[in-house]
Order: sequence, then C-alpha cells, then structure tokens
Amino acid sequence: MKSFIKLENVNINFPIYDDNNRSFRNSFVQTSKALRFATTNKDTKGRRVVRGLKNINLDIGFGDRVALLGPNGAGKSTLLKLIAGIYHANSGNTSINGSVTSMLDMGFGFEEDATGYENIIIMNSVMGNPPKIAEDKMQNILDFSELGEFMHMPLRTYSSGMRARLAFSTAVETSPDILLIDEFLGTGDRSFMAKSKARIIETMRKASILLFASHTIHLVTELCNKGIFMKNGEIIFYGSYDDAYRIYEEDIHEDEKK
Amino acid sequence: MNFLNKNLAFNDLAKEFYNYESWFFLAKFDLKLKYRRAFLGPWWVVIGMGVSAGILCLLWSTIFNFNWREYLTYLFSGFIIWMYLSAAVTEAPGIFPNNKHLITSTNATPIFYVLRRCTLNLLLFLHHIPLILIVIFIVSPDIEIRTLITFPLGLFLVFINAVFLTLSLGFLGSRYRDIEPTVQSLMAPMFLLTPVLWKPEMLGDNINFIYLNPFTYFVGILRNDITGIEFDMYVWIGALVITTINIIIFLLVYTRKKNRLIFWL
Repeated sequence: MKSFIKLENVNINFPIYDDNNRSFRNSFVQTSKALRFATTNKDTKGRRVVRGLKNINLDIGFGDRVALLGPNGAGKSTLLKLIAGIYHANSGNTSINGSVTSMLDMGFGFEEDATGYENIIIMNSVMGNPPKIAEDKMQNILDFSELGEFMHMPLRTYSSGMRARLAFSTAVETSPDILLIDEFLGTGDRSFMAKSKARIIETMRKASILLFASHTIHLVTELCNKGIFMKNGEIIFYGSYDDAYRIYEEDIHEDEKK
Repeated sequence: MNFLNKNLAFNDLAKEFYNYESWFFLAKFDLKLKYRRAFLGPWWVVIGMGVSAGILCLLWSTIFNFNWREYLTYLFSGFIIWMYLSAAVTEAPGIFPNNKHLITSTNATPIFYVLRRCTLNLLLFLHHIPLILIVIFIVSPDIEIRTLITFPLGLFLVFINAVFLTLSLGFLGSRYRDIEPTVQSLMAPMFLLTPVLWKPEMLGDNINFIYLNPFTYFVGILRNDITGIEFDMYVWIGALVITTINIIIFLLVYTRKKNRLIFWL
C-alpha cells in the first residue's frame, strides 16, 4: 500500500501547569474546594490551555514533498511531532501509512562515557532499531562521519562539531517512506556541511513523502513541490509550493508594514 | 471515549515486547557504563552491603543474643532484597521526567523506558547472588530443592510488579512533582516496618500486622525459600493479589493518560 498522511479536524492543546497544579497536595485541596463551591467557582474547572494546532485537515500522498512555511510559533514543529507519533491529537482523526523517520532533534540518547561507535548503537536502539540493524548501517555511518580513530574514544572527548557529525551521520542513515525534517542545521566545518547537505538531499529524494520545515528558502524551493503555510496553529494554505510561498511572502510584507 | 481502551495498553506492551532487543541492549549497556565509570562497578555496592550487613549481624546477635548463623542469611537476603524493592519504588516517580529528552524526540512508548530501567535494576540485583551463595555456603540452612523453581518465579513476579508500578507511579510523578520526594521519604519508615532486620515472630501477638504491608509479601516470596523458612502459601497468594491490583491500576492509568504524558514533562 502506498504511503499517505491523512489528518481530519485535528486539534492539539497544550495544558499550562503552574506551580499550584503541579502539586498533588494542592490539586487535591483544590478539587475538594471545587466540589464544595462548584457553582460559584468556575475557574478551578477546565484546564488553562494554549492552542498548538487548530482544526488541521491535511491529505498528503505518495510523491508529495511538502514545505512547511510560517513564522516561529506557527505550529510547524507541533505538526511534525504529531505525524511522528510523539504528540497525540486531543480530537480529530490521524491516519498514517508508511514507516516514519523524523529528524527533528539530533543527538538524543547520547551517553558521555560511551564511545562514538557505541553511541551509534545506542541512538539506533532508542529509535527502535535493534543492535543488529545498527551494525549493518555501521560501515556507512563510519565512512560518512570521517571520525576515524575517534570512533573508539568516549564521547566526552569530542568537540561540538564532532558530536554534530556523529549525530547527523547516524540520523541520516535511514530510508523511510515518510521523512520529517525540522530545520536541520548543518554544523561541523565547511567541507562537512557541503557533504551533509548533499547527503540529506539524497535521503529526502528517496523518501516517498517528505515534510520539510525550514527557513533556508533556497533549499526548500529546490526540494519541494507542495507547500503549507501555517500561522497561529492553523493551516492557512495548502497547495502548490509556488502559491504557498507567495502567500508566505505576502504575509511577511504585511507584518513588516505594521 | 472508551472507558477502558485495553487495546492501547496491550498493543503497546506487545510492541515493546517484540522490541526487546533494543531495551535489553540499552539496559545491558547502562550496566556496562557503571563498570566503566568505576573500577569494580556495581560490585562496590555489593561489598558495601556485605560489610554493613556483616557488622549489623555481629552487633545484633551480640546485643540481643541471637543465633548468628540463623540470623546471617536472614539479614543478608533481607537487606539485598530490600535494596532492590526500594530502588524500584523510589526511582518510579522520576522515570519519565528523567527521560524527558528522549520521550519528546522519539515515538517509543513509555513502557520502553520503564523496561530499560527495571531490567537494569534486575541485573544489578543479580550481582548480589554470589554474596547470598557465600552466606548460604557458610551457614548451610536447610534449603529445599523447590527453591530452584520458586526463586526465579519470585524474581519474575517482583520484576513485573516493578514494571507496572513504575508505569503507574511514573505517570503520577510526572503530573505531580511532589510525589517523588514523598515516596522517597516514605521508604525509610517502610524499611523499618518491613520484616528485614527483624523476624515476624518477634512481634508476638501482633504478627498479623505485617500482612498489611505489601512489601512483606515480596520480601517473603524471594527470601523464605533461600533462608530455609517454611513455605508460606499466604505470601504467594498475597503477592499474586497485589500483582493483579497493580496490573488493573496500570491499565486504568495507562489507557487514559498515555497521550497526555508528554504534556506533563
């Protein structure tokens, strides 16, 4: 079956917890109060929330390479995390078909005292790939990262550039049906940056669906054929990339005028 | 919404069960790192435990005029088992906040992190077995052959209880951050209330009070057979009842709150 992403009327609300309702004792006291004064005290009922995503309807099919455009806080990352299965919708339907790999955050699960080699297996295990699979990918990761002898040294001896190389090389060694990328920032030196850009474009091309949130416009323009423009947790426009980009630009100019 | 969407919980349990290679590898690796960080690794804890239990045994048997031979296995095994149970409970409320970064970056289920941690605790507990064997060798209590079955069975029961309790307490501890210090401070009096240092028969007529304490059952199923205490059916039945309650609480909490966990971190 071909991969697809279908979202219907999806909403995500982020509850806000202040110091008071983080405490079990306090919330117990509050509930008992609320029960007693249920008619007069309405504030204790209902959670205070911030809208993450509002009424999202989306239908993405095979071959779509979708750019996510919008200002900070528009809900781009939340949408990607929803599709990645990290967040769950408060209401609405989500159906996703195909293996999903998300490159939203890199270098999670790293252990300072483990060697680079071991960290590759750790990171894979954390993503649900058993050690056997990690071993199969190992040669490619080793070659790509060019860390050489450092692969057998503990992570605490690594510079931040070397960590980024390790994280990137491990994360990019994947061939999913659906690939989600959130503003990957090329770190490392210039030669590695050029190489990693070429590599990630290759991975993106292999995926049957791509969702790409980035402010690096030339890269997005080069890779995407569709576009979503988001603002305040809502999808304002979903259609061809050129139209989405035009609306995005207009929106930026409008904001500048204000 | 379904009152009890059991499928969610069972699907997730099945998913992580089939994914055992990943969390088992991570648990083994966590253990390996403990060895790497300190010469002798977890054996320091074993040595420390052996020394303090030895001193305690010497003192108590002198002060209270016990038969030290009999008391030695009782105290050692009690201490070791208590350490395991207490670690399982005190670590439970912090399990998800401590894995916040991973939970917000990958789509592994919460069960994954719990299995990783509980497996590590089990592996650490197994380090103490040689100590128990040495004591058994010195004292040679009458151990029956059924221990070969009941001890692993007891370990399994303690392990699954640790997993489900960690899940339920983990959810509670993520939502309410005062649960963790509360649980930690409750474990000290629990230690005194559980028959670890003393024997139930020392309570005389009040002996039945120990059965109000859930830890009694789990210390019992692990300890009785390796110290040559008579087989006590009640302890096993009690442990099974608690396991059932534990699983029901897990199902209630997990099916309702799984999708909210991430917002609490």
